[in-house]
Amino acid sequence: MMREESTTPVLQVVGLRKFYGEHEALKGVDLEIHAQEVVAVLGPSGSGKSTLVRCIDQLESIEGGAMYLDGELLGYEQYRGGLRALREADVERQRRRMGMVFQQFNLFPHWTVLRNITEAPIKVHGVPAAKARAHAMELLDRVGLADKALAHPRQLSGGQQQRVAIARAVATNPRVLLFDEPTSSLDPELVDEVLRVMKDLAESGMTMVVVTHELEFARSVADRCVFMADGELIEDRPSEDFFRDPRSTRLRAFLDRAGRSVDPGAAA
Amino acid sequence: MPETMTQPLRNPLADRSIDVADARRRIHPWRVVVGILLLLVVAQLLVFLITNERFEWPVVAEYLFNPSVLLGLGTSVVLTIVGMVLGSVLGTGLAAGQLSSFAPLRWACVVFVGFFRGVPPLVQLIFWYNLAYLIPRLEIGVPFGPELLSWPTNDIITPLTAAIVGLSLHESAYMAEIIRAGILSVDQGQRDASAAMGFSRWHAFSRVVLPQAMRVIIPPTGSQVIALLKGTSLVSVIAMGDLLHSVQVIYNRTYEVVPMLLVAVIWYLVAVTLLTILQRRVERYYSKGLTRTAAVARVKTAAEVAA
Repeated sequence: MMREESTTPVLQVVGLRKFYGEHEALKGVDLEIHAQEVVAVLGPSGSGKSTLVRCIDQLESIEGGAMYLDGELLGYEQYRGGLRALREADVERQRRRMGMVFQQFNLFPHWTVLRNITEAPIKVHGVPAAKARAHAMELLDRVGLADKALAHPRQLSGGQQQRVAIARAVATNPRVLLFDEPTSSLDPELVDEVLRVMKDLAESGMTMVVVTHELEFARSVADRCVFMADGELIEDRPSEDFFRDPRSTRLRAFLDRAGRSVDPGAAA
Repeated sequence: MPETMTQPLRNPLADRSIDVADARRRIHPWRVVVGILLLLVVAQLLVFLITNERFEWPVVAEYLFNPSVLLGLGTSVVLTIVGMVLGSVLGTGLAAGQLSSFAPLRWACVVFVGFFRGVPPLVQLIFWYNLAYLIPRLEIGVPFGPELLSWPTNDIITPLTAAIVGLSLHESAYMAEIIRAGILSVDQGQRDASAAMGFSRWHAFSRVVLPQAMRVIIPPTGSQVIALLKGTSLVSVIAMGDLLHSVQVIYNRTYEVVPMLLVAVIWYLVAVTLLTILQRRVERYYSKGLTRTAAVARVKTAAEVAA
């Protein structure tokens, strides 16, 4: 799908660097996400994929580069001709414009499914309770869990919990939805129900960044795929080209190893 | 003696002649022995309690509901509640401080907790009671600058305030450690999710982290309440009229030491038992959604209510 290039990207990551002690987890990553675009982030474990989305949502500190949401610098502000870290409340305001879906779901276990979804709209965004609840029920219906509104998360299967987590992240109408390996901790038979919900979201025009190991999902749903290895973003291509014609030897090796079953022609 | 193996029962055809539903209860000889021993001990104890006239049960009965005893009991209970509330509030702050990313605050809280956990509460009570010796006047003012308000220390430090200050500080140090452990027991993912939803730190702490930490915080806190209730007996040394002090006043006059101590023991046990029941209820309340069995139990009750 072609995107309009003249508008400001929803998300821009420029030269992003992240250290864990001496270890450089992200070595200057560049990434642009446009409105309604779905970008899959692929790569071996430890390549920095999860770190990238966690940095974007400001759950991790960053040591270099810059990130912008709708053109607005994330995490920092101008100060005496230079920069300084934003105050906590401003960081929270920026986070509210993004949604995050975690590998471990991270639903709030002491609340019902409904409250998990309505808490942020009501308490953080000031949506009237009745309206937030109606919206939550709509979302639950969309992910096929309308009958679980009053259940507690522990009573649900992993796949159901993750669908609730997606509904929770969507409930605040985020500008961009970040997925951190959303199906990696699910039993194999539960993966599809979650991917179906994500595909449905993608088709409804949600802007999405999806860190995943699901190559088939990346190829069929994502507009673009990026490949990361050792903290570097090595390839950033439209999904079709990414799988049919990988340029770097590392991506070719990765697809060869991980994705043999996806498309026998791709790695040949 | 080495146990002899009984012959295994064989039924190669596995016809339906054998059914464990027909099995008899097995008798465990050692359980019988222990059971008989326990019975003997209980019987002996009862005989001792009933036949030894020095317990003077009529005197116990006479003073059990004596107004000054009940007043002492009330004082002990109030001291426990006040000490626990102040200790928990201060302890929560100290726990948060110990987990702060700002190092000086962290160190200050660690030292505070270490100090007040290390000083025996009895020493503290006597110290606070004698504070006037160290600081004749209590002042509120700018550090190293002018004073704004001041009072003679002896007007402020009464047995009551000394007891409250001493017990609260002592309790806060223990509660800080208990609450800190509770907070650390909550999965980091919960904090990540709260942050990702845009919750403020306070919202995340008070609505997400603390309620889940409660499951870990409640059981040791229950023990703390009970320890504090018993610890209030220490305030009798600074002439605070708690339960122990009230029976002491009576037996100093009547010399009926044992029966008066029994009066105190009975009331302490009653209070501790009530607190234990309360603790169980609070535990059940905070386990909702956090354990599968609790969830299942709730669904069942809901179904029963509906039926």
